[in-house]
Amino acid sequence: MEERLFQTARDIHGLYPHVHIWGFPIATYLFLGGLAAGILLFATLYYLKGKEDNMPFTVKIAPIFTFWFVIIGLMLLVYDLHHPKYVLELFTTFRIESPMSWGAWTLAAVSVLSLLWPLSYIDDIEAYLHERGWYKLDAITKFLRDLEHKWLIPHFIIMMFRKYRRFFAWILLFLSIILGIYTGILLSAFNAHPLWNNSILGPLFLTSGVSTGSAFVMWLSNNKKERKLMSTIDMALIATELFFIIHMIMGMQAGPEAYKQAAHLFLGGEFTVIFWVIFVGFGLVLPFILEALELKGKHIPPALPAILVLVGGFLFRIIMVAAGQMSEYPF
Amino acid sequence: MGLLIIAAYYFAGEGLGSSGGYRDVAIGVINGVSPEYAQANPYTAPHVADGHSPTNTWLVFELLGVIFGAILSAALYGRLKFVVGKAPHITNKKRLYLALLGGILWGIGTQLGRGCTSGLVLSGMAVNSLSGYIGLVAIFGFGFIFAYIFKSLWIKKN
Repeated sequence: MEERLFQTARDIHGLYPHVHIWGFPIATYLFLGGLAAGILLFATLYYLKGKEDNMPFTVKIAPIFTFWFVIIGLMLLVYDLHHPKYVLELFTTFRIESPMSWGAWTLAAVSVLSLLWPLSYIDDIEAYLHERGWYKLDAITKFLRDLEHKWLIPHFIIMMFRKYRRFFAWILLFLSIILGIYTGILLSAFNAHPLWNNSILGPLFLTSGVSTGSAFVMWLSNNKKERKLMSTIDMALIATELFFIIHMIMGMQAGPEAYKQAAHLFLGGEFTVIFWVIFVGFGLVLPFILEALELKGKHIPPALPAILVLVGGFLFRIIMVAAGQMSEYPF
Repeated sequence: MGLLIIAAYYFAGEGLGSSGGYRDVAIGVINGVSPEYAQANPYTAPHVADGHSPTNTWLVFELLGVIFGAILSAALYGRLKFVVGKAPHITNKKRLYLALLGGILWGIGTQLGRGCTSGLVLSGMAVNSLSGYIGLVAIFGFGFIFAYIFKSLWIKKN
């Protein structure tokens, strides 16, 4: 008997029964990108509105975290690549029609600006920490101040940033919106995956990212007015997010068969419970109710709705990345 | 509680329970980490045999509802805060360690006894099951003994 070897596309790892290329690192990157975009959007927006002294945490302190969120996100993206060295090639060109090119350049610009933004406020940050009895980070703040005062190039860069902060705030505001939308566009650009391939995904990811940003500020700020404002904004964002989600599913239900099958993943399919009960129930509806009760004067620990929104936002990315890969055109 | 039990049997076709929900979540985690192990283990195998997720059970949904409802009720009546409920003379750390130990014993005990206070006793007695009555006597009887042994954790000796 003659032995025969068969090889089909189904043998390729991560392709059958459905594509399974992206996992935890990509979902985490999408979450961190959205979160950083949300924090930066509020920081620049309230700076431009002249509220930097009324909302010190939003404008000066929260952006300290964004640089690290973006860097961790970028590292996860590179980790996910088969050929990490090729990442540099993204920065040798700019292709206007490629969402990945937009994303790579936006991330690079945001990471630089989100480092300079808190550096330009280093004196205020130190005063803020001292006001709250935090002296443990003095060595770091001193090092950063010395960096600015003793070295010519950092001194010049930070001085210029301070001088033209308003101009950079406009740029960063614009870039934060691009970054937030981009996390959704990256997925929606895949036309072979009907669940991702819809135009509402960009705005939905932006809204979700900004909502996690407001939750982050609400959680860590100890200024009552700031927390109340962020809580109110977050409620509006959650309502918008719910509207987008329903709109997305209605759009798919009204579409061709492949889109109906994509919607079915959430309407009786594999992701129904985790999507509606855990993400929508615990990650959107419950924090919305808690925030509404807080506005009515009930005492709610701010950490609770904030953590629910943050965990919900993270779960949403994990679900969308996993479900999107499962949604395909029927053979 | 009686009305709740009737409602649970009427709407869900099952009684109330809490340990079963934890068990389902634990099996779900085992199944997620190693489906082969979950299939081979005689304790977890029946829960993963039908191809459905082991967490797709009434008890898991009931527990999620309990968490949702508890947060909502506490928020409405101004009791929503992070505290460690304990006697003033022991430390938080001691309380949390002992709670963890108690939880582990509770987990083992409920699986050996086929249910906890709600699943075995409350739901069992609601359908006039003998095991429910035996469970009632055993749980409360040993409860008194254990309370006597561990009372120094709650009441300070003078």
